[in-house]
Amino acid sequence: MSSAQERLAAARDILAAWVNDFQEPEPERLDAGIAPADLMAAVRALQTAHWGYLAAITGLDLGAEAGQLEVLYHFCSGAAVMTLRVPIPRQESSVPSICEIIPSASVFERELAEMLGVTVIGTPNTDRLFLADDWPLDSYPLRKDAFVGSAEKEQGA
Amino acid sequence: MSTDGNLSGKRFIVPIGPQHPALKEPGHFSFTVDGEIVTDASVRLGYAHRGIEKATESRNWTQSLYLLERICGICSHVHALAYCLGVEKLAGVEVPPRAQAIRVLVAELERIHSHFLWLGVAAHEAGFDTLFMYTWRDRETVMDILEALTGNRVNYSANVLGGVKFDVTPEIGDTIRRGLEFLEGRTHHYLEVVTTDQVFLQRTRGVGVMSLEQAETLGVVGPTARASGMIRDIRVEAPYAAYADYPVQPVLAEAGDLEARFIVRIKELFESYRIIRQILDTLPVGELQTRMPRRVKAGETVSRVEAPRGELFYFIKSNGTDNPERVKVRTPTLCNMASVLVTAVGHQLADMPMILAGIDPCFSCNDRTVIVADADGAAYTWEQIRHHGIAFYQGK
Amino acid sequence: MDVLRTLFTLMIFPGGLFILFNGMVYEWADRKLVARLQNRVGPRWFQPLADMLKLLAKEEVVPASVDARLFIGLPVIALAGVLTAALYLPIAGLPPAYGFPGDLIVTVYMLSLLTLCTGIAGANTNNRFSLVGATRTLTQLFSYEAPFMLAMLGPAVAAGSWQIGEVMAYAAGHPVILTQPVGFVIALIGLMGKLEMRPFDAPEAETEIVAGAMTEYSGRGLALFYLGRYVELIAGLTLVAAFYLGGIQNPLDYFVKTLALLLVLVGLQTLMTRLRIDQTVGLWWRYGTLLVLLQWFVTLLLRS
Repeated sequence: MSSAQERLAAARDILAAWVNDFQEPEPERLDAGIAPADLMAAVRALQTAHWGYLAAITGLDLGAEAGQLEVLYHFCSGAAVMTLRVPIPRQESSVPSICEIIPSASVFERELAEMLGVTVIGTPNTDRLFLADDWPLDSYPLRKDAFVGSAEKEQGA
Repeated sequence: MSTDGNLSGKRFIVPIGPQHPALKEPGHFSFTVDGEIVTDASVRLGYAHRGIEKATESRNWTQSLYLLERICGICSHVHALAYCLGVEKLAGVEVPPRAQAIRVLVAELERIHSHFLWLGVAAHEAGFDTLFMYTWRDRETVMDILEALTGNRVNYSANVLGGVKFDVTPEIGDTIRRGLEFLEGRTHHYLEVVTTDQVFLQRTRGVGVMSLEQAETLGVVGPTARASGMIRDIRVEAPYAAYADYPVQPVLAEAGDLEARFIVRIKELFESYRIIRQILDTLPVGELQTRMPRRVKAGETVSRVEAPRGELFYFIKSNGTDNPERVKVRTPTLCNMASVLVTAVGHQLADMPMILAGIDPCFSCNDRTVIVADADGAAYTWEQIRHHGIAFYQGK
Repeated sequence: MDVLRTLFTLMIFPGGLFILFNGMVYEWADRKLVARLQNRVGPRWFQPLADMLKLLAKEEVVPASVDARLFIGLPVIALAGVLTAALYLPIAGLPPAYGFPGDLIVTVYMLSLLTLCTGIAGANTNNRFSLVGATRTLTQLFSYEAPFMLAMLGPAVAAGSWQIGEVMAYAAGHPVILTQPVGFVIALIGLMGKLEMRPFDAPEAETEIVAGAMTEYSGRGLALFYLGRYVELIAGLTLVAAFYLGGIQNPLDYFVKTLALLLVLVGLQTLMTRLRIDQTVGLWWRYGTLLVLLQWFVTLLLRS
């Protein structure tokens, strides 16, 4: 197996068509900012080239001021970790589903959808995975402003 | 049990869970059966959801360590380890080699205890209680070792940010060696049992087969992947802590059936014994801890470790304050869960507990976050739950 | 006086109370020995009795959507069936309380009644685990019943009688276990199937279908089914010992032989992994039935 640096260089080549914002925050890691529209094409290219596997999908809430969420697709290959960073607006946020390319992404997407309120367009299963059935539909626990309202309510009471 | 229309309709669904003798932790599986043959399977998780990811955001770096360690009662050490390695990387702290070696030592002891536990559970699911009882008796040996070493049977709290909490003295080293000698003998015996017992083999050989190709598509990790011939072991691929100094030989099997998973896990035990002995023989001298800043530099990091069940993935983001900005935990069970649903179809209902146990599922690991809601649907914050709890018990 | 004697026979000894207690003691021995072999402590000596007292005192919950009469009646029929069977057997080493030409057939059928009732009880409820359990119970019944029956008839054919007392008398004078070894093995393993002992416990595999057909039963109904099984354990052991181990002449003979058989059952239970239902059926029809049929023909040929 080639070294992590070679793997990352290969990833750069594969993704060059869609990404011009590459960063290496740490050795053996590569971050690639990508637009939601290009996500599918980029993931397909990675998959065609057999570059690593999807390790996780992380949702980040950058806060109300920034008005943005970020969805991180972590791909691992040996020691190399390549992350596709997809910035999306906080309101009416959505990303396309990559399940048709990587079926195992289904659970990650379900988690993303219920925890951060990101609509994953075309994901095969939208049932609740972790949250209780009676959890309010418009409350997303991992958003930074989650539970703020209920805290005020209790203080007022 | 409900008396709904599923019985008169075409689909006959056998629910396994949330409470069921086959499950040691809550999860819910629905198996649609045609006679004894399973034709469809689905899963619902979250019954052990405790809001830990969210909770870390309102705790400081040190508090979060103890919280994360409690994600799982079986593989508590690897959670703490993954978190510590990540935070130390963010803070730019160099951990002394002795501490790193002790971390690996505890991680391997934990793997031994976890694999023994699994062996028992899997045997029980197959209806082989004798093997179950014996493996759990022998597992006590490694539990005793862990207790002697750390003071706890589970949740050892071996890690602190910047090092480990206790030292491995020569006396403890002897205790561990003695324990390992006994366990090694037993492990040889168990390997013989699971590969030669004809009745048991009827239940494992050729059951729940996952080909290498399927394993790749399904994105399985850990021993489940290795039993299908896929080298997926973070200790080998991206050595962390002291694994670079104590290299691991990955254990592979080709068949991809339940028997292969038994063989892989049991053979991994020998590898663990070897590593532990090597560490005890060549434990580096030096400090156990370095100073850790209270605040961690802003930044993001990814930390991956090999839990007993497979790759454990941590994404940690710091905003330069006392508290983490975001801790994302992706546990191995989540990756492996999909494989259960796929391999289940076409098998008999009787094989379900075995196939389920085959990935060594850990629902607590999977679930993580809490939902406490009052009647009108408003949720409590962690702070409120704490106050509520204090007020509740003071009222008693 | 005749009425009193009959009542005593039915209620106290050897039927009724004695056999129930005898069953509980054997059940305890079975559980304790299995536990010790599995490196566990096992139950205390009065555990089965305590279980029964507790269950009998508890409310019996009759679930909605079942036929209540059937639900309550089946355990009674099951227990009555096995108790009746016991009357024709040399319980405690005494000659059978009753006997008539052909009682062997009746006894073997009465012993099947428990399994049949269990199956129907499971099918009666609307519980999915019960339904799967009932299917398995009945499937298993059809697989081991024929070979078990044939294995029981083997010595009868050799003795030339269908009466248990006479077959026993024949067995006392002939080493049946040596002339019909296959029959002995099949009878013993068939008994394990009847009692749903491992490896034939697929009908109540707890890791799949909780308690199988018994899932909805609680309180009295469950207690009666359990008692039925305890009695069946005694009856089965007695029958096999009487036919294959040289008859049962006195109480000592009875306890030694049945306990020896129980020990064999315990050993087999500890060593085995639960078989899937298709494997159980395959085993019985592919090997069990064929072998015992072969044995039968040999016995018939030798006799004529």
